[in-house]
Amino acid sequence: MALLIQHVIEGITTGGIYGSLALALVLIYRSTGIINFGQGEMATFVTFVAWQLHEWGFHPALALSAGVLLAAVLGVVVFRVAVRPLMGASGETIVVVTIGLMLAFQAASLWIWGADQRLFFQIIPNRSWTVAGITVTLHAVGVGVAVVALAVLLSAFFRFTRLGLAMRAAAAEREKSPLVGIRVETMLLLGWGLASVIGFMAAVLVAPKLFLSPTMMVPLLLYSLAAATLGGWDSPLGAVVGGIVVGVTESLGATYLSFLGAELRLAIPIVITLAVLLVRPAGLFGKTTVVRA
Amino acid sequence: MSRLPRVLPWLATGLAVAAAVAAPLIVPGFLLFQISVMLTYAIAVLGLNLLLGHAGQVSLAQGAFFACGAYVFAILVSRFGVPPAAALLCAAVVTVALGVAVGLPALRLPGLQLAIVTFGLAALVPQILIKFDHVTGGEAGIRLRRPVLPGWFAAPLETWNYYWCLAGLALCIVITLRVLFGDSGRSLRALRDNPLVAETLGIDLTRVRLSAFAVSAAFAGLAGGLFAMVNGFVNPSSFEATKSIEILIGAIVGGVTSIPGAVIGAIFIVFMPDWTSQIDISLAGLLYGLCLILTMLFARNGVTGVVRSLADRVVRMAAPPPDARQNPAPPA
Repeated sequence: MALLIQHVIEGITTGGIYGSLALALVLIYRSTGIINFGQGEMATFVTFVAWQLHEWGFHPALALSAGVLLAAVLGVVVFRVAVRPLMGASGETIVVVTIGLMLAFQAASLWIWGADQRLFFQIIPNRSWTVAGITVTLHAVGVGVAVVALAVLLSAFFRFTRLGLAMRAAAAEREKSPLVGIRVETMLLLGWGLASVIGFMAAVLVAPKLFLSPTMMVPLLLYSLAAATLGGWDSPLGAVVGGIVVGVTESLGATYLSFLGAELRLAIPIVITLAVLLVRPAGLFGKTTVVRA
Repeated sequence: MSRLPRVLPWLATGLAVAAAVAAPLIVPGFLLFQISVMLTYAIAVLGLNLLLGHAGQVSLAQGAFFACGAYVFAILVSRFGVPPAAALLCAAVVTVALGVAVGLPALRLPGLQLAIVTFGLAALVPQILIKFDHVTGGEAGIRLRRPVLPGWFAAPLETWNYYWCLAGLALCIVITLRVLFGDSGRSLRALRDNPLVAETLGIDLTRVRLSAFAVSAAFAGLAGGLFAMVNGFVNPSSFEATKSIEILIGAIVGGVTSIPGAVIGAIFIVFMPDWTSQIDISLAGLLYGLCLILTMLFARNGVTGVVRSLADRVVRMAAPPPDARQNPAPPA
């Protein structure tokens, strides 16, 4: 029993990180209808910059703040340069561009910092408590608090602020929003900046565990895609819940389905994605949109 | 004068076929081997073109299907002594079954879920190859025995393999043309351009897109089988997830709606990494990424698109057709 609970806790921790990257994906999908395959690699690149600043002797807090700033700027610039000109184009065109982003940012990190795995500085101190045979690390608590806080803050932002309302309006009605004075383009830029910052947060949370390397986020992206599909692509809350479900399934599956082994762990998110697409394509929290022909 | 442009494509095709058939006479053995590998990639790219350029769907698993075909071929030939032609057919058929199993859930929906699912498959297939090592030989892979060439064929093995690849590509080009110039091609393009209207006219979205996906998977399976034959050896490190993305790059760079584009794209992905890796290992990735982004931003139809519009301009400058006003050029 203690073992089971232990694995559930571990699953929730990693699931929270999947959820936060899924949150970034969902934010972009909601506002621009794009699945950004480059999200993880953009975040890795910014995390490398933060790591480099810390190596040069900057305080961790300063390095992370610089990272947040850079992430926001990067999100905005990438949208403006590579995505905005294609907004009218078909979906597959834009997917190809985001895959290009993935390759380009991965190669840029590889070029500047090399393929070695780097130890990323711990933001959360190494502490843990053991109660009744169950160990809870401060890292797990920290990740949980950060992801829940993020989800609550984002929901509140979209629900209660004028800016949040404007962003929702711009996403829902791109043609009609300008009529009530909403600058759609600015809202989309903000959305990409915000998503990039959230992606950076996911990378910072996962980096101490996985070690920092140019390909660090590739498996994470797979899990996050499954999380976003499970939660429903238009629901931020769904992304976080989906992430946690995927994380717990992965943790339990890897423990109790021993035939999977280390190699077939990756099959878990894929099976989840296929199952969701078969049974409930809109996801747990997604809305089924009805199109009037 | 205005007849000239119509003759040109036929002339070019004839020259290309003649050059391809005569190539083994002048090309040295190792280059011929590389060209054969390039032809197998061209087949996989051609399949992706059909899906991407005409069905408007992105598959990131073309390399995974390629691996599937290669392993089916290698296992059948090395374990069961199946003749190559039958093994190639099986490679294509098994790959189609895998493709349909994965594609069906995703293709029922109007969006780009296929990209998500196939992205996962591309990452998973190398793991499966390592995991089931009693079938696939694990990391060590499978080595094929040197085939016995028929007595009437008086040329080296490279030439034999080359002609197999050339025949495979020719077969796939014929199939592509049949698909594109028949009813199915028209339905595909209608779905890509306006799914709502197409469905109203009675085109079954799922069925048409699934069959396009199946054909593209079959091409990749056949290409993989030919690759195993040419290479004489398969192991998981030849089929990492990046292979799928390379095939996508080949399709995009060559031009997604063009058949010669598939060959140009394959040349790009087979020969470009060779010389960039001499400069820096990260250069290929950077170049690939930028190629994808820049092609989409500035030349949606790839190299062949650029060449075609340049050729159009030259022809128009040389001899402006008298009926230019009545028949404006269709928008790109």
